[in-house]
Amino acid sequence: MDSSTASILAEVFFETLGYWYIIIPTIFLGLIVGGIPGFSAANTIIILMPLTLALDLQSGLVFMISLYCSARMGAGIPAILVNIPGTAGAAATPLDGYPMAKQGKGQQALAISFVASCIGGLLTTMIALATMPILARVGFYMHSVEMIVVMLFGISLIASIAAQDMVKGLIAGFLGLMIGSIGTDVVYATPRATFGFLELYDGVPLIPALVGLFAVSEAFVIIEKRVIVNHTNEPKAPNWTDTFDGVRIALKRWVHIVWTSIIGLVIGVIPGAGASIASFVAYQQSRSFSKTPELYGTGHPEGLIAPESANNGVTSGTLVPLLVLGIPGGATAAIMLVVMQFHGVSFGPSLFEDQPKVGYGMFMAMAVSYVIMFLTILPLSRYMSHVTTVPTIYLAPMIIAFTLVGGFVPREYMFDMYLALAFGVLGYIARRTGYHVAAILIGVILGPLLEKYFLWSLKKSDGDIMVLFSSTLGNILWVAFAMSIILPIVFGMRRKRKLEVPAE
Amino acid sequence: MSMKPMITRRGLLGTGAAAATLTLATPGLLRASTFPEGNINVYIPTSEGGGADRNFRAFSSVWKEKLGTDFEPGFYPGASGRVGYEIYMGKADPDCYNLIFGNMGPEVLNWAMQEPSFDVNDYFYFGQVDKDPCCLFVGAESPLQTMDDIIAAAKTRKLNVGTSRMAHPASIGLLALGDKLGIEFNLIPLQGGKSTVAGAVTGEVDFSVLTSGSVIAAGDSVKTLLVFGNNIVGEALDNAPSINDAYDMDLPEMLSARAFGIHKKAADDNPDRFEVLTRTFKETFEDPKLLEAYVASRGTPEYLQYAGIEECAAFKSAMLELGARYKSLLSGA
Repeated sequence: MDSSTASILAEVFFETLGYWYIIIPTIFLGLIVGGIPGFSAANTIIILMPLTLALDLQSGLVFMISLYCSARMGAGIPAILVNIPGTAGAAATPLDGYPMAKQGKGQQALAISFVASCIGGLLTTMIALATMPILARVGFYMHSVEMIVVMLFGISLIASIAAQDMVKGLIAGFLGLMIGSIGTDVVYATPRATFGFLELYDGVPLIPALVGLFAVSEAFVIIEKRVIVNHTNEPKAPNWTDTFDGVRIALKRWVHIVWTSIIGLVIGVIPGAGASIASFVAYQQSRSFSKTPELYGTGHPEGLIAPESANNGVTSGTLVPLLVLGIPGGATAAIMLVVMQFHGVSFGPSLFEDQPKVGYGMFMAMAVSYVIMFLTILPLSRYMSHVTTVPTIYLAPMIIAFTLVGGFVPREYMFDMYLALAFGVLGYIARRTGYHVAAILIGVILGPLLEKYFLWSLKKSDGDIMVLFSSTLGNILWVAFAMSIILPIVFGMRRKRKLEVPAE
Repeated sequence: MSMKPMITRRGLLGTGAAAATLTLATPGLLRASTFPEGNINVYIPTSEGGGADRNFRAFSSVWKEKLGTDFEPGFYPGASGRVGYEIYMGKADPDCYNLIFGNMGPEVLNWAMQEPSFDVNDYFYFGQVDKDPCCLFVGAESPLQTMDDIIAAAKTRKLNVGTSRMAHPASIGLLALGDKLGIEFNLIPLQGGKSTVAGAVTGEVDFSVLTSGSVIAAGDSVKTLLVFGNNIVGEALDNAPSINDAYDMDLPEMLSARAFGIHKKAADDNPDRFEVLTRTFKETFEDPKLLEAYVASRGTPEYLQYAGIEECAAFKSAMLELGARYKSLLSGA
């Protein structure tokens, strides 16, 4: 980094700090829209487009970036407290976040999530800024063949979940994959298994599936209890100790935050890949190389850190192809592109020569947002966690109403509300009969993406299946994938043997 | 003292009849004079953030001033635009308060591949916003930098070509080129303009074909080699030649044309409202602010071209005919 770049960065950093009066209210707006299922930074920016366009370039930029970061973090709050992941990117968060809340550790879980999100987001912003030209190249190597393997990393989570009851786990995962294949096919847009419903032509919509499987079914379950928190784990009065405990637990696992946020960053820079892929892949990787994989799914801090760091890593990652190549990495980046183009900003290779302050300004806005977000949101964990103590006779109907509206919002179809209810019933039956809803959901979310990359690869090779092993990077990823499946088994056997020694 | 009644029975009846007639007639009179009384909903069959979104916002920012009301876009992507049209035709009230903003090129081509559930004559386009020819382009770092490179490479292996969707005028342009040169190309539907550009830039495919407006918006990341129509923008498309000039062909222009459409029933039942829509639509084109808004949204000024009902109908019909001709190649049927 030369001295002129450093001086631009310093100048932009202080300029961005001067926009605190935009950043702070936007953070709270982002937390709210991120927490409401169906809302996201992308559709909020669209709704507020007249305002965004009326602002000057720098203010509009700061507003959009702050909203993007805070909405990502906000989606984790209801995922942890009431098992409602508002977006697909937060779908892996409740796997360990919600069990923590049920154990009366909601406040800790929120603090862990905030620390992981902010550090993960801040760190990957810095890495992206420093290595932008290199990171922008990732998309040049990660093509459909390589993405198939990345998808398999995430989908292999089904096998991990199935470990407790192999047959039921695999049935749930397979059911999810089948549901995920509903919709028109990738190549010729021929409808499959849509049962004549036009609303299913574009596939099963993710938000209704997400809120139905997790939240609605959970509402059916918790109505049988007095409060979400288990009776043996009555929450204490609000105190700072739990918040600081959460911060301590997260900071102690800083290597974990760094590692999983980088997974998010790398997946984020690939055009078309998103937070849902990153959070599941990070969770799977975290579990595979953990010394305590058996604790995952029971309220393990590392199982919460992994998806939260990763999905915030994606946030900075999606800016890289937008700024360097002019290709938006995700839906929010695409909306930002529209707004910025209205202000006459031309993205692509020439951006950092023509308007360096805009390019660097976006990263600086992200960095400043994460810093301010950490300071403003952390104290609130103390109060937010009280949601888990609200009697379920009030909470369950609220969750159902809230999530049904959330299911309706993205497409505004009544059909989606019914679909959320149907998924809720499916989720309830699955829970009551010992099938894991997360296995179904992984299939629903990652199945269509796997199919897309698989069909593209086959189409490119004229149907030759060996195309899957045709690239060097792809083959390296295959080896890594095989290792991530085999090594945990080897480690597990070794641990078991060690434990058996004293007994002898 | 006798008082003469102020209102006679005959007068009362007469006044009553007049008042009743006026009351009954008022809604009709007001309908004509006050339309629109609320926002106009616009169904867009692609996702937000894409070319249609950009284009719609630029045009509606000026049109709303002429019409005196706001436009509310709703995005209904899926199945190559089919979802948006099906929802518009099936669920939106035909009352002139609901319009569709579509692409008369690829979206109409779709109907030739798979018939929709509605009659394609039950809606029509009444105003074209812009029209741009499709083109063939490579990523800035692609090893294929000229058409000669492409032809030479195609003789050694089957090249993979990104397209937004199979049923797209750009796909037809490419297939026609392949026919002419005796080369077989492998079309890969990358599902949307952004992915099609990304595919060429990152090397997912050897090169891509797409509407040139989106290619121009991609800037320096791409290089255009051939235009499936007339290159009226010159440098903006790297001075790429037209396919007909370069290969001595007689291919009709492969165009993408964004236009507003409406239910036929809405226009038939509400001619007064429809007149307001078409008149203000045309007035929008006469306002210099439109060009400013269009350019600000990265639109190419040369592509901003008005066309009315008849021209749009001719375009739609030509696309249906073209689709029928290439159906077997584009639908896998």
